[in-house]
Amino acid sequence: MTPDSAPSPKGRRGARVSGSPRNGKPAKSWNSNKARETAWGYLFTSPFFIIFFIFGVIPIIYSVYISLTSLENPLDANEVFVGLKNFKNLWHDPEFWRATRNTFSIWFFSTVPQMVMALGLASILRNPRLRFRLVWQTILLVPNITSGLAIAVVFGQLFGRDYGLINYCLQFLGIGHIDWLENTLASHVAIATMITWRWVGYNSLIFLASMNAIDNALYESASLDGANRWQQLRHVTIPGLRNTIVFMVIMGTIGGLQVFAEPLTFGGGQTTGGSSGQFNTVTLYLYRYAKDLFNYGYASAIGIGITFMVLVITAINFLITRRIASED
Amino acid sequence: MTTLSSDTDPKLLVARNRTTNRGATYKKMSPFSYVVLVAVGFLSFFPFYWMFVVASSSPDVISQSPPSVVVGHNFMNEVAAVYGQVPFTRNFLNTLLVCLSVACAQVFFSSLAGFALAKLNFLGKKWLLLAIVGTLMLPSQLGLVPLFKILVNNFNWGDSLKALIVPAMVSAFGVFWMRQAIDAQVPKELLEAASIDGASIPRIYRTMIVPAILPTAFVLGLFSFLASWNDYLMPLFILQNPDNFTLQVALNQLNTKAYGMDYNIVMAGSFMATFPLLILFVFVGRRLVTGVMDGAVKG
Amino acid sequence: MAHRNFVAKFTFLLAALALLVGGLVAAPAKAASQVTINIWTFGNVIEPKMKARYEKMHPNVKIVAVNKGGPDQLAQALIVAFQAHKTPDIAAIETSWSGLFRDYPQYFVDLRQAPYKADKLKKDYVAWRWAQGTGKGGEVIGLPTDVGGLEVAYRVDLFKKAGLPTNREAVGRLWPTWDKFIEVGKTYNKKLKRCVDKKKDKSCFIDSSGTIFNAILNQGTEKFYKGVGQVDYQNRQVRNAFNETGKALVAGLGSRIAPYSGDWYAGMNKGSFATLLAPAWQLDYIKQYAPKTKGLWDVAKVPGGGGNIGGSQLSIPKAAPNKAEAWKFMSWYLAPAQQLTVFKEYGLFPSAKSLYGTSAVQNYKDPFFRNAPIGKIYASGALKLKPIYEGPKERAIMAIFGQALGRIEAKKQNTSQAWNQAVADIKTALNR
Repeated sequence: MTPDSAPSPKGRRGARVSGSPRNGKPAKSWNSNKARETAWGYLFTSPFFIIFFIFGVIPIIYSVYISLTSLENPLDANEVFVGLKNFKNLWHDPEFWRATRNTFSIWFFSTVPQMVMALGLASILRNPRLRFRLVWQTILLVPNITSGLAIAVVFGQLFGRDYGLINYCLQFLGIGHIDWLENTLASHVAIATMITWRWVGYNSLIFLASMNAIDNALYESASLDGANRWQQLRHVTIPGLRNTIVFMVIMGTIGGLQVFAEPLTFGGGQTTGGSSGQFNTVTLYLYRYAKDLFNYGYASAIGIGITFMVLVITAINFLITRRIASED
Repeated sequence: MTTLSSDTDPKLLVARNRTTNRGATYKKMSPFSYVVLVAVGFLSFFPFYWMFVVASSSPDVISQSPPSVVVGHNFMNEVAAVYGQVPFTRNFLNTLLVCLSVACAQVFFSSLAGFALAKLNFLGKKWLLLAIVGTLMLPSQLGLVPLFKILVNNFNWGDSLKALIVPAMVSAFGVFWMRQAIDAQVPKELLEAASIDGASIPRIYRTMIVPAILPTAFVLGLFSFLASWNDYLMPLFILQNPDNFTLQVALNQLNTKAYGMDYNIVMAGSFMATFPLLILFVFVGRRLVTGVMDGAVKG
Repeated sequence: MAHRNFVAKFTFLLAALALLVGGLVAAPAKAASQVTINIWTFGNVIEPKMKARYEKMHPNVKIVAVNKGGPDQLAQALIVAFQAHKTPDIAAIETSWSGLFRDYPQYFVDLRQAPYKADKLKKDYVAWRWAQGTGKGGEVIGLPTDVGGLEVAYRVDLFKKAGLPTNREAVGRLWPTWDKFIEVGKTYNKKLKRCVDKKKDKSCFIDSSGTIFNAILNQGTEKFYKGVGQVDYQNRQVRNAFNETGKALVAGLGSRIAPYSGDWYAGMNKGSFATLLAPAWQLDYIKQYAPKTKGLWDVAKVPGGGGNIGGSQLSIPKAAPNKAEAWKFMSWYLAPAQQLTVFKEYGLFPSAKSLYGTSAVQNYKDPFFRNAPIGKIYASGALKLKPIYEGPKERAIMAIFGQALGRIEAKKQNTSQAWNQAVADIKTALNR
């Protein structure tokens, strides 16, 4: 008998998540007492739902309500119900779509290289013959604990147009200096760099934890079958990480589409996202309308727009990733 | 496909799923790997190091170009200045309390919910999972102000650490991750065997799920801890009395310049706030590697 | 079992911590009539020594000054606090936010009422600073702290290299108007030839020409509002300020470095810009971040006469728990006598105009700036400004104009294109 979620080295089509049926019929439960199972199922998930309902859902419902009103400054509290007007405006708002394009661009630059790097780092880290393992693991998390203020100072210096360290080095390489702030593409790369720097170590440890859970015997038999390192990676590691990859892609998409602190910091605390909105992101746009333009109705509408976008993209990502991973 | 002779022994099967030290399978580390690690390590650590440089130097260190990378002599003065501005030790303990509570709660509740969603069958399970993942998609800034009003007006938790702990005790991220982990790491056969043996579901949770997901639990705990440690907006709004501050809010207090920043003292405070975490990482990191083995041996 | 040990250990650790923190957090026994005044402040608005002095004079009063991190964070926190009806006793509101809060006087105590009677104090302060604490219905919702002022800090050595006069009176005479200022700038750049992009250690006339916009606006009588609720951002004064700034931007006067950025601090040291439109408190920045340039800077009068960046008001929110005690502290702290002390000890320029003629202000010289009579220069500048009505969307409109100027600076648009887009952007932003 083989655990149903551990694929063989040669690959196995349709290795599936337990509980999700292949042919539409409900999976056969491992438990004999269905009623007990149901009761415990609800009980175990209830803490999440109770707490989340009070502190998560109710605020959201309020925000949805606000998005249908003309509430501007919350200190006024005299909102008028306007229905879908905010959403209509949003649909026709060129700045919103520019922010959307920027968000996707930044997301692409920050997620794709990062996932590859994280996977690579985790592969290196998982080797039990690695020396000073603790040192590497600790250092990789340092970016994640460095305070936002420190990051603002450091990266502000690094990406300075005239006196920043990066341009200084680029001058030596003959490339000359780049206007990181004004140039659209450069600003996206700079922000993506900040994000990657902060999260690549974190994500590599998630991969590492999951890799460590893959049954070692599979690697043994793979190497016995003559598979080299790359083949092992492709046929044992990645399928074994399927769940984690799905998880990371979804989280990466959600997080990436909500990127907000980095563009804010990059712009020196301004919420405009650059002189021509070149690094404006959708969540920064939301923040601007809530905190600077004092238009809570519109800001809430932007928030809901973001939610739909995330939903659609995540669903697409999920389907693509599942397809790719299961083909292995 | 390899047939495992220890297939039918559930405990050994679980243990096997976690061993990592079969050295024979692994080739020696290539120098290239070390080069990569050193490079990545350098890039990861340099900003942190530079933070210390700024914290220990005079104000004009920030205006040097190319930037100075030499540590200054002023660090202890800045530490004294930090203590002069905020009750740092108290703030540190506040933060520790909040973060530990949040981390433990999140790991516990997430593992329960993750177990239910991964291995138990009940009506509406699919929708529940989708709802949980769905909640991740809501931008957090959206509900910030209404949440604040609920905490302060309805629960009367203004200026209290409770307001920071209770809403954070559950996490969709944690539930989702635990669900993925439990689903992948605990084979159905094990559960069937246990069920046939007459184990109740809570017992199964305690004896089978928890040992299997310990490494994941540690990492999740660590990340929840970190997220709570870095949380800035909510504590800024909720906490009023400096004695109740968490570290991120206390760092705010250090800036005595109205425009721009008082770099030296703020960086000193940031350094003092993050350095203890490194020690935490070493502790948890060890557990990540060896805790796995302990669990396997004790079974 | 590992798990049980784990849970037990953590529970124990948690319980121990809870006890420890609980013990620490237990409030000390209070004296019988002790009052705690909670103040939300930013930067150095509330000077610690002054605070200590007051506590000594009033042993039953404890002042807790919480630094909210910056003027913007404080304002946002205050807005949230208003909605939750849980506010501090005193809140410091920076001048760029006064436009917003003046539109919501209902959230503040009207200090004209008894027992505060703040109207009597009006004559002590500079009119335009007092106006920033006046609500839309004439309520007095805040008292002014300091004056930022605005004059020109210039590099004597670089002016010499460009063949310009170095004596501060002569320099002040070079540019009575902004047009002349721009001419001087063009001369400087032409002579020095170092204001070219891509050249290392370049030296341009000013850090960012965009700073001229705010300077000119503050010298007028109208900004973005004609009156209460009447937005008007296309008036003559705004247009003039925008076009004048546009001239400077198009002429490439500035080194395109934003104030408070990494390049700005480095630029101070490297002489990247020969002039800086500096409020009084910013002179301190030069001293701190470019100490090696001591004696190379001087201060001259700004074109057009006077200006202001920064400053704040202290106000008492309506939901404040200890209004009477708060007022006692506030009126003491902002009285001319204390403002003089703050000026002497910390260099923050007072808003109490009665102090402007005193020898302390008039004779105040700064050796870092070649013994320039800082007090005299900034005092005369402060007296020239007039009250301007500011409205709630002040900051938002300013940010959009800032974007427009940034586009001209980055050569993405010319002045009229940038203006047209700014006007369109503001219209959209305000009318959603």
